[in-house]
Amino acid sequence: MEFDIVTPTTKSELLKAIKTNKNNFRFGAGYTDLILELKKKNVLNVTVINLAQLNDKKFNSIERNLKFIRIGALVTASSIVNDKFIEKNFPVLQQAANNLASAQIRQVATIGGNICTASPSGDIACALVALKAKCELLSSTGKTRTVSILEFFLGPRKTAMKKDEILSSVLISLNEKNINIHSGFIKVGTRRSMECSVVSLAYHIQSDKKNLITNVGIAIGSVAPTIRFAENACGFLIGKKASSLARGEKEEFAEKVLKYASPISDIRATAWYRKEALFNICKSILEN
Amino acid sequence: MSKKKKLVVQNVEVTFILNGKKVTKQIRPSLLLIDFIRDELSLAGTKPGCLEGECGACSVLIDGAAVNSCMYLAINIHGKNLTTIEGLSDVNGLDPVQDSMIKHGAVQCGFCSSGMTMSIKSMQIKYKKDKKKPSKEEIKKGLEGNLCRCTGYVKIIEAAEAVINKVK
Repeated sequence: MEFDIVTPTTKSELLKAIKTNKNNFRFGAGYTDLILELKKKNVLNVTVINLAQLNDKKFNSIERNLKFIRIGALVTASSIVNDKFIEKNFPVLQQAANNLASAQIRQVATIGGNICTASPSGDIACALVALKAKCELLSSTGKTRTVSILEFFLGPRKTAMKKDEILSSVLISLNEKNINIHSGFIKVGTRRSMECSVVSLAYHIQSDKKNLITNVGIAIGSVAPTIRFAENACGFLIGKKASSLARGEKEEFAEKVLKYASPISDIRATAWYRKEALFNICKSILEN
Repeated sequence: MSKKKKLVVQNVEVTFILNGKKVTKQIRPSLLLIDFIRDELSLAGTKPGCLEGECGACSVLIDGAAVNSCMYLAINIHGKNLTTIEGLSDVNGLDPVQDSMIKHGAVQCGFCSSGMTMSIKSMQIKYKKDKKKPSKEEIKKGLEGNLCRCTGYVKIIEAAEAVINKVK
């Protein structure tokens, strides 16, 4: 494995690196996917833009204002796991980050890498879809555009990002005031650690003081070419009382989520199993 | 493979702390940390296992936290504090984590031991900083990136629990 590398340390150096290397480059941040890929393919003549030493607030930090929280693309999974605000307000994201691979990998793997790999089984990415996050894309001209994460994933390993763009950060709207949240990440795998999920479900449900559901985000992973947002299932729950759903309603909800799943059978599980597991975990999140 | 054009790349200078001492080296940009540690720094205690981040035998501490050195670019060690298994013990003796591994019989063939030790050390540092006593489940979770094919893990987990929570 031999490749050339540029290590920008500032944003302007980064933009210059993107411009000079045109289409023939790969971004490297945590390297937990990239090194394996480069080793297997034995790629030559590719330049790696090394982001590990980039020092830019937008890329490196977790910040928030009254409306949203911004997480830089270079923030690691372990920083997300350890962030108290995220733990309290967005358990789905904290749990997804904590479910990723192993402690050693969480220490270096970045949220930007998990998103831009665009894997249908991405853990953090799945949570961000449930949270209806927005991706901030910085182009080599220095301009930023914002794309909803729902429109960001086009297919396995395909994203809406152009060749001269880089994901700088993601934005998540803060929860409504005075609400209760029911939020979490469920990953079904063939083992507990270091697992690529067979089915995953990210849910973030907000209810008001009367227990009426006001805002819902449901995302499913590993059961379609991309992570899917189950919009109709979300709409179905709005206005209902979380604590007094009838069994039929729970099943109807699970059916609605399942409409978004088109799983394949592969080495990890059959399509049938994935659907059955998804149906059951969907129902389970509405049990008290 | 050999027919492909040979890439001419310039070496990169890195300065970092290796087991407490400042080191400056010129290295190939695509050099992996594990190869740097074993072949160029001649520290063979860090073990190459799966070389794809699954087994954790190659774990080292970077700024006090365990990472897989097989998936880490050596140039990114610049400005950081690297601790390998050789850096845990000193003239006064073994690190408490190593003592605990021995005391609990947590070593059999030994291939995973240096990586296990680094992961346990990483947890010990983290929980000490957070002033928290981890549960057995949390300790198991902290070791999920390390495979051992001999012991069945029980003694390793006991060794970790004893040293992190200082139980006898």
